Amino acid sequence: MTSFDTKYDMYPAGDVGVVEGEMNIPTRGVPSGDSMEFNTLDEPIKETFLRDLRAVGNKFYHVLIPREKSSLLKEWDLWGPLLLCTLMATILQGTEVADNTNDGGPEFAEVFVLVWIGAAVVTLNSKLLGGNISFFQSVCVLGYCMFPVALSLVVCRVILFTTQTTFLFFLRLVISMIGFIWATFAATKFLGDSQPEGKKALAVYPICLFYFILSWLVVSHSNV
Amino acid sequence: MANVNTGELLDFQDYSPEHNNRSARIDVEAVHTNQYNNTMSNPNYTFDEPKTIEEPEAAPQTNHNFWTIEYYQKYFDVHTNEVVERIISSVLPQKVSRNYFDERIKGKPDLYGPIWISVTLIFTIAVSGNIASYLHNANKKGFVWRYDFHLVSIAATAITCYVWIVPLALWAALKWTSTTDGHDEIENQDAKSPTMMSLFCLYGYSLSIYIPVAVLWTIQVFWLQWLFVLMAAFVSGAVLIFWLMPALRKSRYFLILIGSILAFHFLLAAGFMLYFFHQPNTTDDTIVSTVKP
Repeated sequence: MTSFDTKYDMYPAGDVGVVEGEMNIPTRGVPSGDSMEFNTLDEPIKETFLRDLRAVGNKFYHVLIPREKSSLLKEWDLWGPLLLCTLMATILQGTEVADNTNDGGPEFAEVFVLVWIGAAVVTLNSKLLGGNISFFQSVCVLGYCMFPVALSLVVCRVILFTTQTTFLFFLRLVISMIGFIWATFAATKFLGDSQPEGKKALAVYPICLFYFILSWLVVSHSNV
Repeated sequence: MANVNTGELLDFQDYSPEHNNRSARIDVEAVHTNQYNNTMSNPNYTFDEPKTIEEPEAAPQTNHNFWTIEYYQKYFDVHTNEVVERIISSVLPQKVSRNYFDERIKGKPDLYGPIWISVTLIFTIAVSGNIASYLHNANKKGFVWRYDFHLVSIAATAITCYVWIVPLALWAALKWTSTTDGHDEIENQDAKSPTMMSLFCLYGYSLSIYIPVAVLWTIQVFWLQWLFVLMAAFVSGAVLIFWLMPALRKSRYFLILIGSILAFHFLLAAGFMLYFFHQPNTTDDTIVSTVKP
């Protein structure tokens, strides 16, 4: 050890940083900012479950109020996107009506494929443009940012229980537009900085398109 | 403790004590950049160090593996203003310089524009096709209109086929019907038949005019819809021919090629309009059958 120390002293402190790196494995599921040391082997399942759930809920909160960027990017997970995607697919799926004509809505699997392939293609696009973000980080952000769209879908679904009028249609249109703008704004806030200058619009446009298509599904969904 | 260990593992420990650490590190970097650059001409690379570092940024290497993302990055190496300029060039060629295609697009074809213009067109057609169908049926008594998500798959099939197959066919036609009138070497160099990628690029951008037209097609006036078909097909087809003229001239079937380019463009536009936006009045009995009891 002493021999190492003498050698270590020879290097100026600033230069060691060039080869030095973080080598600890990021622990998944910890609420951000909480650096407790834990051992998950002998804790109750309920605790493990609640901790993961809290992490997911925390990310949803950060999507609704997109102020700090690091919260979603630091530890990606796909639980939130899976929940949102399943919720949307369940509500949006077309139902067989009595006279054997489909109501024209997408199938459950079609919504699923649209969301996941869409997120993957948008991510691939930003990778190809030269963005410095990892694949799953970007898919995670795109998935979590569906939250406003999913919220607007739930609100629209509630509106659909009443008798439909033209005014209510425009109300649904406005609500889904708000969801679209909110989602795009949040995703742009999280992902915008990963692109080089002059290519930002090229990366943001597919994100807009992605949420626009989802919002179109939301506003088109009706149970009549 | 962990910090000390990594430091011990990753430090370059074999340098002699009297050697200045900073210069040692630059040496290592120089070896690396030299390896990537393949600069065989200057063995004493230590002096023009900044130059060799900046060179890879200016001209990225293109010898990446086919299956890596880096291989495709060269087709997405465009900036926002370039994409806007290319879209303009596909509609209004007089706004850009006369040999824009030869100078810019041929040398650096991109796939960003074609891919996202196609995707936008697919969903624009699906959305406005639904609006058109609603406008057509809205004032019918007792008819309950429902949206049809599956227009997306039909539009996607049509556009994807068009955007891949037609440039491929055109490329093959240009390649195998070109006559090499080799009397002037320099002219030959200039009007070399365009690469497959640049044709994909050109065709993708030429679809951009259909996006606003698809929105306008929702107006349910029959002669106006046909007017838009003719206008869009003619403008976009004429621009295609305008850019491809030097290559087309060398083909033996000059007129046939021009005719088929225009015909396919017209067929695409007419097919879109008739299938997605126009509902003939003869289908009233089928509509009645879908009315809810």
